[in-house]
Amino acid sequence: MSALPEPAGALKRITIMQGETKVSDDPGVVLTTVLGSCISACLFDPVAKVGGLNHFLLAEPGSGETDVRSLQRYGVYAMEVLINAMMAMGATRSSLKARIYGGASLRDGFRDIGATNALFARRFLRDERIALVGEDVGGHGARRIEFRPTLGLARCRIATDRPVERPRIAAAVPVAAASLGEVEFF
Amino acid sequence: MSGTIMTVDDSPSMRMLLKAALTDLGYKVLEAEDGVQALERLDGATPDLLITDINMPRLDGFGLIEKVREQDLHRNLPILVLTTESSDEKKQRARSAGATGWIVKPFHPDKLAAAIRRVLH
Repeated sequence: MSALPEPAGALKRITIMQGETKVSDDPGVVLTTVLGSCISACLFDPVAKVGGLNHFLLAEPGSGETDVRSLQRYGVYAMEVLINAMMAMGATRSSLKARIYGGASLRDGFRDIGATNALFARRFLRDERIALVGEDVGGHGARRIEFRPTLGLARCRIATDRPVERPRIAAAVPVAAASLGEVEFF
Repeated sequence: MSGTIMTVDDSPSMRMLLKAALTDLGYKVLEAEDGVQALERLDGATPDLLITDINMPRLDGFGLIEKVREQDLHRNLPILVLTTESSDEKKQRARSAGATGWIVKPFHPDKLAAAIRRVLH
């Protein structure tokens, strides 16, 4: 957990829902979300003063799961969306730093979804050579996150000590075709 | 659709996503985790398409494309770059090296399928 300085003026609070990603270079913005077994990665570039936050439900598609039209629920996709959006706003990959939150314990048979999500997030950052500078994961309670994207500072509070509820895995919202995976032929 | 596609990306997660998408489309998938491994696996292999990341250890995507184009067997192999990078400078560098096209990550399944159809069929 890191200190979050109180601002001189009013801040604009933007709530990030499950499956969403938001990036900002506005010093007046606070990105907030509430997490159970889900993970939020807070990425920031301290040089470009750009930051962003995602909120993903599951780490990766399981073996044999080929529902690639609901990719945004998966961390592997949400992380790419976040990195890409930050680079489009001026961030440099080699400057990126990360904090991760969430991943509270939620058992689904023999699998702990929260722990799997946290392991994925750490592995992804390691593979992508993005420095993990802070984390608050695991446990049993839900968390409320507030992230100042331009400062890279976050506040993580336990919202409730009650065991986290199973996230609703509703029918996935289709990926917005217009904004992703632009193709250019040479 | 049929054919063999080699994917090159140092992110295991991205390789897995690509494999899921391409298998779903009916393609056989060969994988490599960087440019060096891709060149090793291309030795004697004849995929129909190569999809490569740019930022990778040992040998990056630009270097891989240049090396592939030096080989008679793969001189005409279509190569799509799949990367989070989107600067004109890097696109131009890939184009000069011999890339066929450029896709910005994360890929949209329908756009990826359309791009593959365009270069293969």
